[in-house]
Amino acid sequence: MHELSIAHEILRTCRQAVAGHGPGRLETVRVAVGELSAVEPDLLCFAWEALTAEGPDAGSRLDVEWRPARQHCPACDADKPRSAGSWLRVCPDCGAVLEVDGGDELDVLQLTFVPDEKDEATHA
Amino acid sequence: MPETIDVKQRILAANEAAAKLLRGRAEANGTLVTNLISSPGSGKTTLLEATVRTLASRLRVAVIEGDIATERDAERLRALGVPAHQILTGGACHLDARQVDAALQLAAFPLVDLLFIENVGNLICPTSYDLGEDFKVVLLSVTEGEDKPFKYPAIFAKAAVTVITKSDLLPHVTFDLDAVRRQVASLNPDGRLLVTSARSGDGIGDWCGLLEERLAAKRSART
Repeated sequence: MHELSIAHEILRTCRQAVAGHGPGRLETVRVAVGELSAVEPDLLCFAWEALTAEGPDAGSRLDVEWRPARQHCPACDADKPRSAGSWLRVCPDCGAVLEVDGGDELDVLQLTFVPDEKDEATHA
Repeated sequence: MPETIDVKQRILAANEAAAKLLRGRAEANGTLVTNLISSPGSGKTTLLEATVRTLASRLRVAVIEGDIATERDAERLRALGVPAHQILTGGACHLDARQVDAALQLAAFPLVDLLFIENVGNLICPTSYDLGEDFKVVLLSVTEGEDKPFKYPAIFAKAAVTVITKSDLLPHVTFDLDAVRRQVASLNPDGRLLVTSARSGDGIGDWCGLLEERLAAKRSART
């Protein structure tokens, strides 16, 4: 269950990104998770909820973009679709070693941040 | 009004930065670093004990141990005269490069040829964390069952070396070694697989030979 550690890193990264924006709360955070990253999206979202529940970012939403790996067989010169959960790196048709591209993404892409309402009078 | 901010940063950027630092230092020191990963009880510490017994006369060795609790593993290596430092993770299921960096600073090991990082016993979580190692090693004991590579594919796909342990027990258990070889080969066509028994000594020479080869290759590649 390392998703909690991953969620921690996401929160830290987001908080760094909004550091210059004054007080406020995260509304949504969009992340990319590759299928070869060994991170489970549902668990990551549960971890995010648990992690942010008590703080200023309570109620924020983590949107996970699932990024499949692309597999290509150099012998057949064709893309080979990947069945769910399969990590085989050999071509199912000819047995050649597949070229794998992507699927190891683990990135914070974008966030939305709601600054606290300012009391204009005090800043006048 | 909500503000939209593009972040575009690796989630594990902090770990990756620490791993890069560790890798750079190991490169400068000419130290080969391996990250040992397996389920609990597969024989990581026992393999290290056998490795130290075989190599300690020719190579300088140090060990970082990761466990949730107790100093037991580090004590076992220290008993063999090897500098060893125990990281206690408290409950965390994996080691992070920043923990390894902090441990190396605390331990202040002398310059070594081989640094082993024995990860927390777990086949899943340590897979995602680069510790600045030259390569990952996954251990699988013959008592764990022959379907492990397909059930935990990520680590078998990522580890450059698979070490089968406790091979002296093969006559007593149902473990189709050829099936495991085929599974590992299909997950990791470039990987190496070694069959060992720390108890009988079978395969320990091959394992130590592989470490010496990789160490020599690393040093000859340095400019």
